[in-house]
Amino acid sequence: MIDNLGIVDTKKIIATIHESYGLDLSDYTLSILKRRFTHVMSYYNINLVDEFVNQIKRNNIEYEDFLDLVMIDTTEIFRDPSLWRELREKYLPEIAHSSGSKIWLAGESSGDELFSLMVVMSELGLSKNIRITASCPSKNRLKRIKAGYGYDLKKMEIGEANYTRLSGKFEFNKFYKMDGNFALMNPELIDDVEFDTTNISQEKVNKSYRMILFRNMMIQYNLPLYEKVARKLIDNLVVGGYLILGNMESLEYSEIGKKMQLVNEAEKIYRKRID
Amino acid sequence: MSDYKAVIIGGSAGSFQVVTRIVSSLPANYPLSVILCLHRLKHIRSGFVEALSIKAAMPIVEPIDKEPIKTGKIYLAPANYHLYVELGNKFALSTEDAVNHSRPSIDLSFFSAAYNFKKKLVGIVLSGANKDGALGLKSVKENGGLTIVQDPNECQVPTMTLACMNATNVDHVYSTQRIIDFLLTLD
Repeated sequence: MIDNLGIVDTKKIIATIHESYGLDLSDYTLSILKRRFTHVMSYYNINLVDEFVNQIKRNNIEYEDFLDLVMIDTTEIFRDPSLWRELREKYLPEIAHSSGSKIWLAGESSGDELFSLMVVMSELGLSKNIRITASCPSKNRLKRIKAGYGYDLKKMEIGEANYTRLSGKFEFNKFYKMDGNFALMNPELIDDVEFDTTNISQEKVNKSYRMILFRNMMIQYNLPLYEKVARKLIDNLVVGGYLILGNMESLEYSEIGKKMQLVNEAEKIYRKRID
Repeated sequence: MSDYKAVIIGGSAGSFQVVTRIVSSLPANYPLSVILCLHRLKHIRSGFVEALSIKAAMPIVEPIDKEPIKTGKIYLAPANYHLYVELGNKFALSTEDAVNHSRPSIDLSFFSAAYNFKKKLVGIVLSGANKDGALGLKSVKENGGLTIVQDPNECQVPTMTLACMNATNVDHVYSTQRIIDFLLTLD
């Protein structure tokens, strides 16, 4: 059942979602969508595409539940420890120098990036100096993030191993408490974070950030949407501001990427050259 | 002119030396794309391409997301990402959950390659200690591609190739040398 959706079926589902929920996924990577749709179908025990389509049309699957399930589950806490080390040692202290600096986590799906960032900020004692905004289009997920999310033990083991690799200053277990089999991150970490449900691929944003983290999110988009989102990210950066993508992502296939200079190739940290 | 456009190779425990032999045997102007999906340590991002490249004539790269797939190149699935062949002859990467405890997952790479290359794909599964790759190779077969496994008697760990042979009617069971000889006939 894992990957038997063909293109015709996938497109049929995309069209239904657009019609019923107003959510346009037509420019998303098909390989990823196929897996996500299969995931939603198996969650509801649906084996046939027509049944899935009908359930959406009849509103038996609520939009927020659908969104929660279809969003990609990213990665890990402190994925790529070398990036977090760079941020801790170089980039965060640098941007803390300018007053009123703001950082945007433009596509949070499970709090991993947010909690990683806030742990590093607390190590640096900068939590109050830099204003953080985290956008997560799913209200359900946002609610879980605000409550500390609840990660399974496997994920916490990976997070702890990553934290050790970046030579974290504290004991990792200082940052969470167990609730049954799940780990809730300490909500104090995110006390000063501003949250919203902006979906960057669909909505306008008009801000000026000094740093934007958007790691491993561009992989979801086909080239036209990738270009559009790259433009929005870059438009919302001040000149001299940083955009951070996943280590195997790149701006090289986008026009607007010419405004950016790659300042750290291994970690895909770009700096805005011109407006 | 070969009937095939791409070769996809999956391997895990005990496959490194076999893959090294294979990639070292292909000439610089090999007319197909070669895609490698090998289980690897997820937190070690560099060094693998360099190790494989020592004796290889073909260029070996870890594709970035959306990179076009070209012939004459060997592509290695990067650490801690799934690697897909996406519509439009491009690669797509993904950080979704591990499949068969693996990221990259051989099954996922094989599914997408089978779907996109259909009968123009050769799928090869080598030594390995789990079942990742079995459903993927089955999918290559179902989409009209050619399927090969390394002879289980030669594999350091035969679990993966045996799982493939259980999952589908594999076209060829070859030793490493025969795999190389066969790939060279596609030149």
